[in-house]
Amino acid sequence: MAKHDYDFSNLNPTATVLRKLDPIVIEKPRAPIHIHTYGGESPFFRGLTEGKLLATRCVNKKCKPAGKEGHVFLPPRVYCPDCLERTEWIDVTERARKTARIHTHITVAHPGAFNRVPIPCELISVEIEGVSTIIMSQLRGAKPEIGMPIEPVFETAHPTFTILDLAWVPRKA
Amino acid sequence: MIKFGPGNLAIPKQMRPVYLVAAGQSDFKKFYPEKKTEELAVEAFRMLALENNLKVDGIQELKEYIHTACYGHFADHFGDQLLGEALIHDRLGLDPMGNVGIKTGGATGGSTLWIASNLIASGYSDCALAMGWERMDEVDTWTGNHYIATAADKDYETELGHIYTGYYALMAQRYWKVFGKGSPAFRRTMSKIAVKNRRHAYSNPFAQTHGKITVEDVEKSPVVADPLRFYDACLMSVGVSAVLVCSEEVAYKLSDKPMRLFVTAGSHTLRTADRRNMDIPLLPHEEADPEIRKYYEKLKGPEVNERYPGFTGFLAARMAAYYAYNMCGIHDPCEDLDLVELHDAFTISDIQTYEDIGLRPYGRGPEYIESGDAYLTVPDDGSFSKKLAGKPGRLPSNLSGGLIGCMHAVGATGIMQVCELFWQLQNRWKYFHARKEMWERFGKTMPKDIENLQVPDAKRGLAISHAGVGSHVTCSILMRPDALPTK
Ligand SMILES: [Zn+2]
Repeated sequence: MAKHDYDFSNLNPTATVLRKLDPIVIEKPRAPIHIHTYGGESPFFRGLTEGKLLATRCVNKKCKPAGKEGHVFLPPRVYCPDCLERTEWIDVTERARKTARIHTHITVAHPGAFNRVPIPCELISVEIEGVSTIIMSQLRGAKPEIGMPIEPVFETAHPTFTILDLAWVPRKA
Repeated sequence: MIKFGPGNLAIPKQMRPVYLVAAGQSDFKKFYPEKKTEELAVEAFRMLALENNLKVDGIQELKEYIHTACYGHFADHFGDQLLGEALIHDRLGLDPMGNVGIKTGGATGGSTLWIASNLIASGYSDCALAMGWERMDEVDTWTGNHYIATAADKDYETELGHIYTGYYALMAQRYWKVFGKGSPAFRRTMSKIAVKNRRHAYSNPFAQTHGKITVEDVEKSPVVADPLRFYDACLMSVGVSAVLVCSEEVAYKLSDKPMRLFVTAGSHTLRTADRRNMDIPLLPHEEADPEIRKYYEKLKGPEVNERYPGFTGFLAARMAAYYAYNMCGIHDPCEDLDLVELHDAFTISDIQTYEDIGLRPYGRGPEYIESGDAYLTVPDDGSFSKKLAGKPGRLPSNLSGGLIGCMHAVGATGIMQVCELFWQLQNRWKYFHARKEMWERFGKTMPKDIENLQVPDAKRGLAISHAGVGSHVTCSILMRPDALPTK
C-alpha cells in the first residue's frame, strides 16, 4: 500500500492542526450527532427489546407478489413493495425458532469506524420458512455454516435500540 | 420490486444516434494532497479537449459546442462538500450552461453517461460533457470504511460491522460454496483475475498501482472477509475522468473518428435481504440455446435449489445487459464484442458479472478466465496449459487494470472504463499509455517492459458500472460506426 504522511490519531473536535506546509494540508474535525427516527418501523425495534421478532405481511388479496416465497417481509416494510398497500405486523419469533437457517455467512475481522459489534463478528443472512426475504444479522457462539439451523436471541436486558439487539445461536435440538 | 410486464422489458430506444468524440482523465492516486479536485477536473478536461485530434482551434472553440454537463460524484461526506458539481462547472468555465449532479454509488460514472447519452438521444442537447470524480483521501481507511458502509441500510445493515466488504462477502461466500464448491481451483481462478488486472495496470500510466503480483502473493495476502483477500479487492482512489458525447452532426464536425454509444441501466434492492427469488430475462444467445434454458431450470429446481440470481448474481447487471444487447444488436457477447471493462470491485464479483452479462451461463463464470478468453494474450507463466499459453484470448477484459489495478475513484470509475474503450477503438491506446511523456506527466517512469495492450482492430467494447451489492448497474457499449451489428 502507498505510504502517506497523514496521521489521523488526533480527533480533538476544536483543534485546528496544520499537517503540512507544501501544499498546505489542515485538519477539519467533525463530531456531529444525528437525531434519527425509525418511524413506522419502530415496532420491529421495540419488539427486539421485548424478545420478539416482528415481520410485516401484505394482506391485500389483489396483490401479485414478485417473489416466490410468499409475502412476508423481514426487515419489515410499512408498505408492501409490490402493491404499496399498508402491511400488517406478524410475530415470527416461533417460526424463526423452528425453521431459521443460515443462507450465507462471513467473518468480519476488520470493521469500520464506529463499529459496536464484538470482533470477529460472524455476519449471517437468515432464511426462515414462509418469509420471502433473507435478513442480515449476527451469529454467536459457533462457527457458521450454510444450512445450519439457528434460533434468535434478543438483547432485552440492556437494549441498544438498534439491529444489534438481534442475534442468533445454533438451534438446540 | 415488480412482476415483469411488457412495459418493464421494453427495449430502450435512442431517438437519434449518440456518439462519443473525446476522452480525458487525471492520474489516479490513493492520496493526492498535491492537487485539489477542481485542478484534477481541469486537467482531465484539457486532455479531452487537446489530445483527441478534435477539429477545433483550442479549448475555447470546443467549449462553444457544449450545451449541458453531467457530473458524477457519489459521496458528499468523503469530499466534505455539497454542490461540488457547481465548483467544478465554474472551474471548467462552463457557466451558465445547464448542469446536473448524478449519484448511484459505484455506478455513478456509468449513470452519468446514461443521462448524458439520453440528453443527446432525445434531442435536448447536441453536445454534452460527462465527467466523474471522487476524493476519498480526506479521512483514514477506518473512517473511509464507515463512510462506504453508510451506503448500506443504516438501520438494518450498517450497524453490523460498519464494513461494506462484509455485506459483499455474504454474496461471495454463497457463490463460493454453491458454485465454487469452496475448491482451491476456484480460489486459483479468483487469484488469476487479480494477477491479470494488476498486470494490465503495470502498463497504464493513469493507474494507481504498478507492482506485478503472482497468484501466490494474492493467496498469501491478508483475509479481508473470507474468501476475499487484500489483493481480491479494489482500490480507493482520487481522480477524474471525462468524455464528450454528441449528436451525429456535431460528432463529425468535431472528430473524424467518433464512436457510437449505447447506455442502459438496471437496479436491484439495496439490501441483499430483500432479493426475492424471481424470474430473470434471458439474453439473446441464451434464449436461442435450449441447452442453457434447460440448465437454468435445473438451477432453480430441487437439485441445486439456488435463488439465482438473488445471492449469487446481480439482477441489475442482467437487466442492463438485457436492455443493451437487444438495443444495439449484440447476440452473443463473446462473439460480438472485442474487449470489456468490468467492475471488478472484488475478484469474485467480477466472476459473478461474467454470468450476468452472458460471457458464461450462471454458475460457470470461472470458465471465462480458464478458457483464456479474458486475456489479450494468455499468460505463458505456467498458470495455463501449454496449448493455451501465448495464444490470443477471445474477449480481453480490464486492459486498464480495472478497479483492482487502476483505480476506484467512485464517480470517475464508470467513465474511466469508457475512456479506455474509446482510445482502444480509435487505435490510440499507445498514445495514451506507451509514451514516455505521458508517464513523466504523472511523475512516473515508463517501464522498460511495458506491454502493448492495444487490441488489434477493436470494433466494439462494453463497460459495466456497478453500485454496492448490485443496487445500480449500467451497461455502456461503444462501437465503431462502420461495425454496427446487423440485427
Ligand atoms: Zn402487496
